[in-house]
Amino acid sequence: MAKASASDRVNLAQSSVLLVDHNSQSLDMLSSIFQGFGVREQIKCASTERAMKLVHQRNVDLILIDSAMPGMDGYDFTRWLRRDTPAPLRHTPVIMLTGHAAQSKVQKSRDCGVSFVVTKPLTPSVLLQRILWLAADERSFVECETYVGPDRRVRNFGPPMGMSGRRAGDLSAHVGAATEENMDQASIDMLIKPMRVAL
Amino acid sequence: MSEARITKVVSSLARQVFEPGGRTVRDALQKANEELEVHREPVMATIAATLDELDAVAATAEPDAGPRVYELASAIISLGGYFDLGPMNEASYSLCDISDRMIGANAWHWPSIHVHLQAMRLILNGGCRVGQTSDALLEGLHSVSQRPVGPDEAARQ
Repeated sequence: MAKASASDRVNLAQSSVLLVDHNSQSLDMLSSIFQGFGVREQIKCASTERAMKLVHQRNVDLILIDSAMPGMDGYDFTRWLRRDTPAPLRHTPVIMLTGHAAQSKVQKSRDCGVSFVVTKPLTPSVLLQRILWLAADERSFVECETYVGPDRRVRNFGPPMGMSGRRAGDLSAHVGAATEENMDQASIDMLIKPMRVAL
Repeated sequence: MSEARITKVVSSLARQVFEPGGRTVRDALQKANEELEVHREPVMATIAATLDELDAVAATAEPDAGPRVYELASAIISLGGYFDLGPMNEASYSLCDISDRMIGANAWHWPSIHVHLQAMRLILNGGCRVGQTSDALLEGLHSVSQRPVGPDEAARQ
């Protein structure tokens, strides 16, 4: 995914962002960052239980949640959002913020269905880049027994040709044999020849 | 194996972000950094207080204090992670890592914790700046955290 240049524009003036973190200082810092980004509305929640109620009451365009929340943690919240809420709520982009990734949480993090995991140290630059990635995200939404969330494969190559698990839309680095006749040189020349356009 | 349902979804965020208007990336980042900087001093005070709390936990050395050590070290990463606290972030990450492994292996070793806390105190007193002292401290922590934790890790080495 391409990095945004400083002169690119980002418009969050119509966006509502839900920030969930049990640490009030951390919540305030996140809020300050989004203030700087020019977000229309920020909703701050100090618990996942409150966040669960809130997302049923109103629309949000993006959720940022800390992974290590007391009680229901950020992973379980995302899993609940993806599996137990109706569309389009279940499709809401979720950015998970994490400090240290405990061994016991690695699999939970992979399987809960977050859009992106952002590991601290977290700078405004990294966060804005992830938001731009999310906005340009073309990954499909996958729903099956073991996983609900954005496709975890960023590159749509899938398993190698001939292996099980490939999907119809998978691309491949393997070009394979030509299926049509080669173009003749005259046709190639015509494709790249500068032509005068009559306006 | 169950069939996977695959759908294309365009989020409301995706529709909004590239609409005309808004701010340039440069402006958005400048404003965000200015807003964030206001929090630096209070965060440094909280980190110092958290280190005091870690010292108190380590001083009593209760047998079941492992999760509390991990929780407090995580809190330092969580808050310090908004600023470039270089060596402090690395040292607290190392403390989280080693305490997580010791909890997992059920083999707690207080001397490794004490070494981390002393190093973190020195880094904090040095203004969290990168330099020869912080490099030497981090190298020491690295060698401490490389040691096997518990019989399973020792057997694997």
